[in-house]
Amino acid sequence: MTVQTERPPSSPADVRKSDSPSAGPRPRAASRAGALAPYLLLLPAVAATVLLLGWPLLKDLLLSFQNLNMAQLIQHVTEWNGVDNYKEVLTGEDFWRVTLRSILFTAVNVALTMLLGALTGLLLARLGRRMRLTLMIGLVLAWAMPVVAATTVYQWLFAQRFGVVNWVLDKLGWHSMADYSWTGSQMSTFFVVTVLIVWMSVPFVAINLYAATTTIPGELYEAAALDGAGAWRSFTTVTLPFLRPFLYATTFLEIIWIFKAFVQVFTFNGGGPDRLTEILPVYAYIEGVGNQHYGMGAAIAVLTILIMLGLTAYYLRIVLKQEEDES
Amino acid sequence: MKRKLIAAIGVAGMLFSVAACGGDDGGDSGKKAGADGYAGQTLTVWVMDGSSPDQWQKDLAAEFEKKTKAKVTFEVQQWNGIQQKLTTALSEENPPDVFEIGNTQTPAYAKTGGLADLADLKEEIGADWTESLNESSVFEGKQYAAPWYFANRVVLYNKKVWADAGLKDTPKTRDEFYAALKTIGEKTDAEPIYLPGQNWYHFVGLVIGEGGELVKKDGDSYVSNLDDPKVAAAAETYKKFQALSKAPKDKDEATPQQGEVFAKGNVGAFIGMGWEAGIAIEANPAIEKQIGYFTIPGPTADKPEGVFLGGSNLAVAAGSQKQDLAKEFLKLALSDKYEGQLAKLNGVIPNKEALQTNLKGNAPAEAAAPAAAVGGTTPLIPEWAAVENAPNPIKTYLTAVLNGKSPAAAAKQVEGEFNKRLAQQQ
Amino acid sequence: MKRSLFGRVWPNATALVVFVACIFPVYWMFATALKPTGDIIAEDPVWFPTNMTFEHFGTAVDAEHFWTFVRNSLVVTCLAVLFSLIIALAGAFALARMRFKGRRGFVIGFMLAQMAPWEVMVIAIYMIVRDASMLNSLVPLTAFYMMMILPFTILTLRGFVAAVPKELEESAMVDGCTRVQAFRRVILPLLAPGLMSTSMFGFITAWNEFPLVLVLSKESGGAQTLPLWLSSFQTQFGDDWGATMAASSLFAVPILILFVFLQRRAVSGLTAGAVKG
Repeated sequence: MTVQTERPPSSPADVRKSDSPSAGPRPRAASRAGALAPYLLLLPAVAATVLLLGWPLLKDLLLSFQNLNMAQLIQHVTEWNGVDNYKEVLTGEDFWRVTLRSILFTAVNVALTMLLGALTGLLLARLGRRMRLTLMIGLVLAWAMPVVAATTVYQWLFAQRFGVVNWVLDKLGWHSMADYSWTGSQMSTFFVVTVLIVWMSVPFVAINLYAATTTIPGELYEAAALDGAGAWRSFTTVTLPFLRPFLYATTFLEIIWIFKAFVQVFTFNGGGPDRLTEILPVYAYIEGVGNQHYGMGAAIAVLTILIMLGLTAYYLRIVLKQEEDES
Repeated sequence: MKRKLIAAIGVAGMLFSVAACGGDDGGDSGKKAGADGYAGQTLTVWVMDGSSPDQWQKDLAAEFEKKTKAKVTFEVQQWNGIQQKLTTALSEENPPDVFEIGNTQTPAYAKTGGLADLADLKEEIGADWTESLNESSVFEGKQYAAPWYFANRVVLYNKKVWADAGLKDTPKTRDEFYAALKTIGEKTDAEPIYLPGQNWYHFVGLVIGEGGELVKKDGDSYVSNLDDPKVAAAAETYKKFQALSKAPKDKDEATPQQGEVFAKGNVGAFIGMGWEAGIAIEANPAIEKQIGYFTIPGPTADKPEGVFLGGSNLAVAAGSQKQDLAKEFLKLALSDKYEGQLAKLNGVIPNKEALQTNLKGNAPAEAAAPAAAVGGTTPLIPEWAAVENAPNPIKTYLTAVLNGKSPAAAAKQVEGEFNKRLAQQQ
Repeated sequence: MKRSLFGRVWPNATALVVFVACIFPVYWMFATALKPTGDIIAEDPVWFPTNMTFEHFGTAVDAEHFWTFVRNSLVVTCLAVLFSLIIALAGAFALARMRFKGRRGFVIGFMLAQMAPWEVMVIAIYMIVRDASMLNSLVPLTAFYMMMILPFTILTLRGFVAAVPKELEESAMVDGCTRVQAFRRVILPLLAPGLMSTSMFGFITAWNEFPLVLVLSKESGGAQTLPLWLSSFQTQFGDDWGATMAASSLFAVPILILFVFLQRRAVSGLTAGAVKG
């Protein structure tokens, strides 16, 4: 990897292509300052990250090795207890059950979001101008809905009494749904949360993919048509390969966003009924903050972070490689 | 062992530093004779939603300011999530100076060292506090809070709905009560009773009525006793009455506030605190004339239903910088004048027997009184507070039973969680 | 290319269904907020708020300290977005246009930072802020919200910067601009859509944040923001759906307006943005 940046050129002759590996001779001092420039530009961002993210992470790690409950928090006492918290979490059944549930939850939601999002994105590309604008506005409104408000609205839509969903189901002949309590069971709670999350997430994927399709050069399709490719062939040989990086990137974002869907799950039913819909962040919150078992909560938080790293490792490797190729 | 020792030293250090703060303030209070000792200070007091009427707060604040030259601000808190909020607040530089704390939660907080020792206050004004009501404030022989008010639940009913159903008398036994509600269901289009699935305080009352206990001792620690047939009987009673209600099975009486549901005028009755009538009246002033009260009927006419004797204490934060001022506030708030006014306005049981005359003619209080004698509380142990953290396993138990599980199966389902919380490391 | 009637109808029909699915919850929120209570709890839903009332909005706005919440939310959100844009722009420029040792490490670092599960670190953050005596202040809120959106902002802006043809910058420099001038006169204007779409994400994240402000700001009328108001409103008004929906509407409106207003510019830039990296 070569380190090189530009210094302000003093004459047109001094301007180089930044890509070109070999640069003309330059005054040493200026070059050193130039070499520092990227680091200086990144300094504020790095400083903020270390201070505002690194420090809390370190603190969380330290807390995870402490017995920290009401008394210790109130009195500012530090009681180290080694790996006791981890031992208790990892040997209990709960954690593994919640982890599995979290992964399944994320997988289902991401798959649905990506599928429906991609289809909607391709649909946008096929529509006429007016219809496209209409659909776009619908998507943008759903996308823009703040999550706290959206969750509240879904509570109302799926309310047991006077909820419009139950009314519709009843009218459709599903009379047992007239007074159905959606918060009453694990699956019904997950169902509503999934509808909510997919509803909120599809617009991002759809609009993104649509925007990407508009950048596909038309010649590629023409070339494919010349080769005698039908609609399906040209989709798989032109559209899909072109969209692949977009799909990877949005899938990655959706995985981390959905894995962390704390507000939706917590606000809708508090992880209930009977703690059956707790996903990892909710579990960490309820054990740590809710149960005032802060050290334990910190340990679960650390484990949550590790699991998330595992889930996204594949994508991170791709990025790592890609960056390598570029440099 | 060692860890405990470290903790103990921590506590000692804490007490010492608190004492030092107290000392500083002592200097201030030395100037009290100048009557300007607390001028410019503001005392922060946390009270729970609905527990003290505006009038009481206003009168008290005015007189407090006159007496001490200090201001007082009341901040109203919701029961939901209060423990999480209180714990963090007590760890801060500026905790609330005085706060209301539920009697079942007091032992746990006393143990954390977050509550100031009120021995001198007890000596000064607490000689005639009702012994049984002071129980939750005392932990390991020390006075950590002052008893404030107590209350037990009654039936609040809508006289108009009952008249529409042709009912003339209020029921005296559980069966009569059930029959009356049935009649309302048949003869009117009102909901006979609003009873959400997780009114666990009422359930605790039913358990007490059966002579049961929620926990039992197992060696040195407490474990779940939900599989006791007496608890199961209480759950069955709850279920029988809940079946008459359209209220959600997985919500408690505060979400939504049952008083507000009742205010709409289409509910025959609900089980709640007397002061919850105030919530209904605020939502719909016209309902005031229709509200009546009666004691929750027990299995026989001579024995009312068991009730949970809810209560609140007032405590001073150990970390408060205004210890003396806080105690001045308690002296005034708990004085016969204000304690009596609170009893009168809210129909709650005051902390001294002598003040009970204030309840004469107060309909909800008179309905509550017969049951108070057979009331009880959850165990007053520090381990209990963890049980009340959401999701409260007793609420989960109730919902499970209401959704068709047998009490025994439901008990088994929540046992693990219940025991885990009772054993949670402190 | 000729398409059959069916071929022309089904995309529009599907689009209509998707449109309704997208819009209905938003519509229902506003409709409920505007209906009198009798219509809200009618046995058969009243689909259009014909008897419009602003009574529920009155209830919502009457809540104590409402305007303090609004002001706090606006201040915190705008400042967090502004700071993160400035900091991120510098970093993004370096990552997109310069070559230096450790560049890859920075990119991966920010991707990792983007994954930070803030909800589970609440207590650690609380203790840090508490021990720094900065509770009940807008400063730590602004700082942490800024940090929550910073990684995404950097990575997205990096894509936008990379998408600006290098030749433009170079020709500007040929014309005698310094690098800074070239950046300001050439790149920045081209980045405008990118900055807008990125700030939309930042805005919505900061506007929504709830678990952190819950522990950092307990003092009522102090440094509390709208999500706290909305949630306490919900506990207080429980099944008064008219009031709750009015509150939700008030909370959502600024974002909805912002998005509809910015969406065209934003979408045009999204391609470049969200993906690179």
